[in-house]
Amino acid sequence: MTYSDYFLLSIFYFWASSTSLSLGIGYYTIYRPVMAGMIAGLILKNPQKGMMAGALVNIIYIDFVSTGGSFKGDQCLTAIVAAMVSILYDLDPLEASALAYPFGFLGILIWKYRLKINNIFVHIYERKYKENKAPDISVYDGLLPQLLLFVMSTLVFTAALSLMFLLNDAVNFKNIGALYYIGLILVILSAFNILYKIKNKYNFIIFGATFLAGELLGIRAYILFVLIILTLLFTVDKKVDFAKNIFKGPIKKKDLVYSWFIWMNYSHSCYSYDRLMGLAFAHSMKNIFKKLYDNKYQISEAIHRHTEFFNTEPNMGTPILGYIIALEEDRRIKDESFEDISYIKKGMMGISAGLGDSFTQVILAPLFISMSVMLCLDNDFYPAFIPVILLAALILFISYAGFMNGYFKGKEFMLQRIKNVKQSKLHTYFPYMFSGILGMSMSKLLFNDIRPYENIFTIITIIFAACLTFMRKRGER
Amino acid sequence: MNDVFIRVDDRLLHGQVVVSWIPYLQAKVAVIADDEYANDEFMRSLIESSGPEGVRVHVKTIDETAEFLKDDRDDKILVLLKSIEGLNRLIKKVRISSINIGGLGAGQGRKRYYNSIHLSDDELKILKDIANENIVVEVRILPKDKAIVIKGN
Repeated sequence: MTYSDYFLLSIFYFWASSTSLSLGIGYYTIYRPVMAGMIAGLILKNPQKGMMAGALVNIIYIDFVSTGGSFKGDQCLTAIVAAMVSILYDLDPLEASALAYPFGFLGILIWKYRLKINNIFVHIYERKYKENKAPDISVYDGLLPQLLLFVMSTLVFTAALSLMFLLNDAVNFKNIGALYYIGLILVILSAFNILYKIKNKYNFIIFGATFLAGELLGIRAYILFVLIILTLLFTVDKKVDFAKNIFKGPIKKKDLVYSWFIWMNYSHSCYSYDRLMGLAFAHSMKNIFKKLYDNKYQISEAIHRHTEFFNTEPNMGTPILGYIIALEEDRRIKDESFEDISYIKKGMMGISAGLGDSFTQVILAPLFISMSVMLCLDNDFYPAFIPVILLAALILFISYAGFMNGYFKGKEFMLQRIKNVKQSKLHTYFPYMFSGILGMSMSKLLFNDIRPYENIFTIITIIFAACLTFMRKRGER
Repeated sequence: MNDVFIRVDDRLLHGQVVVSWIPYLQAKVAVIADDEYANDEFMRSLIESSGPEGVRVHVKTIDETAEFLKDDRDDKILVLLKSIEGLNRLIKKVRISSINIGGLGAGQGRKRYYNSIHLSDDELKILKDIANENIVVEVRILPKDKAIVIKGN
């Protein structure tokens, strides 16, 4: 590993864990272990091995849902470390994921303190505003928090790297035979755990069916992938209606696009306990207010109004931004009061957060990411990019269409969106598809990488892990 | 007595509640107790239509919520309130054994109490008074988090 590798990897870890500066889709693509592992592998000139290690880490984190910045370990750092150890020390991907697992807790430090530290920028901004200095929101929402995050993520990454070298010096990773079994237990535990969580009476039957189809009949993973995509294409409602673009005031299409672009890039940039996404909301209104007001202080005051506490699901919640822009413009033209705007924002943000998290994070992301993992485990490395690209396109579409329709159709669109999402057939199909993908993934893992029939210990470990999950779930009831 | 879980969270029915709390509590009914939203036709229909599958969502004024809780029901009920002030009004009208504080944004003379929970001195005093009446007041953002119990004087 050279200094330039180190430099590139730390830049990449910053970019992926920031989830900013990646048009809002970084969180659904490069932050996910399967992709993070692939890119770390690319830097170390073995993308396939990195991707495989990432895919296994991904199974361990398959039930990951972040609601309001709260989760168990940093999957991105875990995947990068797994890819590194697997390539540098020539470890099996299972061994690498077991070794990398504890490193995830190092990464959680960033998330834990980020929300506290970002309060500092909120306070500096507030002070400057009170001193009548018309502070630039993009500095306090964009530049400074990102610079700080870069320093923090580089420190964490360097610490992880040093720890990895030190550990290897103390105990040669190659000599720890147990790693393989720990990795196996982690992966099986996670897969069974999520299978139990899927509330569907056929989950085990479908899991078993695809598992056997993959194991005994040798059916390739891409066949299941194509089947699922076809099902989605033919059954899920694809009705898209964009409102007619009618501009009544100074705001034009390019202003809306620019505002959306800022929101997508910075929604979590200055995520703080004080305001959560408040500063990001104000940041994305900056160019709008520049169009609506001439005076620097009026602009600053209007932006400041929107720095209040705000939190939503950034993609499903974009109609709020579009609608608020329309309201602000209308009130400005008619010279009416802004008093109720804050109330409308607060009422809508919670709803779209609840709706969004239970759709994008609980259904869309696991569905597409697990398909990528499945293809990867079947050694189809290039096709494994397709589900991730589809997911990114879907997320972009949801957020862009929401933003524009929010502006042109107003609050009625929010009602319509809730109805559409709730009626989406994906809710019904998701448990079946997901159980199937899990079954196929497990079968490919055993078929291509583990081969339990060559080793009695492996069989015992798998049965042990499965029983452990079963007992724990029984205990919970 | 009804099986009721009361949560104060100014984001009301949002991600943490829908994804974590409702499945954890196995709540079948969610009541948003808020005068402002209950009297706003559009917002009421927006919130009522947004509940997850299998959960009925009602938006009621605080008085209506108190009446609603007095009737006996079999289902587990989750009551969401936006403010401590509203909680104080509700608690005077109906008997409750415990309350959860889950999210209160900064501002209006509030200080950070714990992570994303901010309380003003007056609000903390109200909570302590409530705790004095033998009602358990816990600060807990997610079900898996450790509860911080606010004790009375």
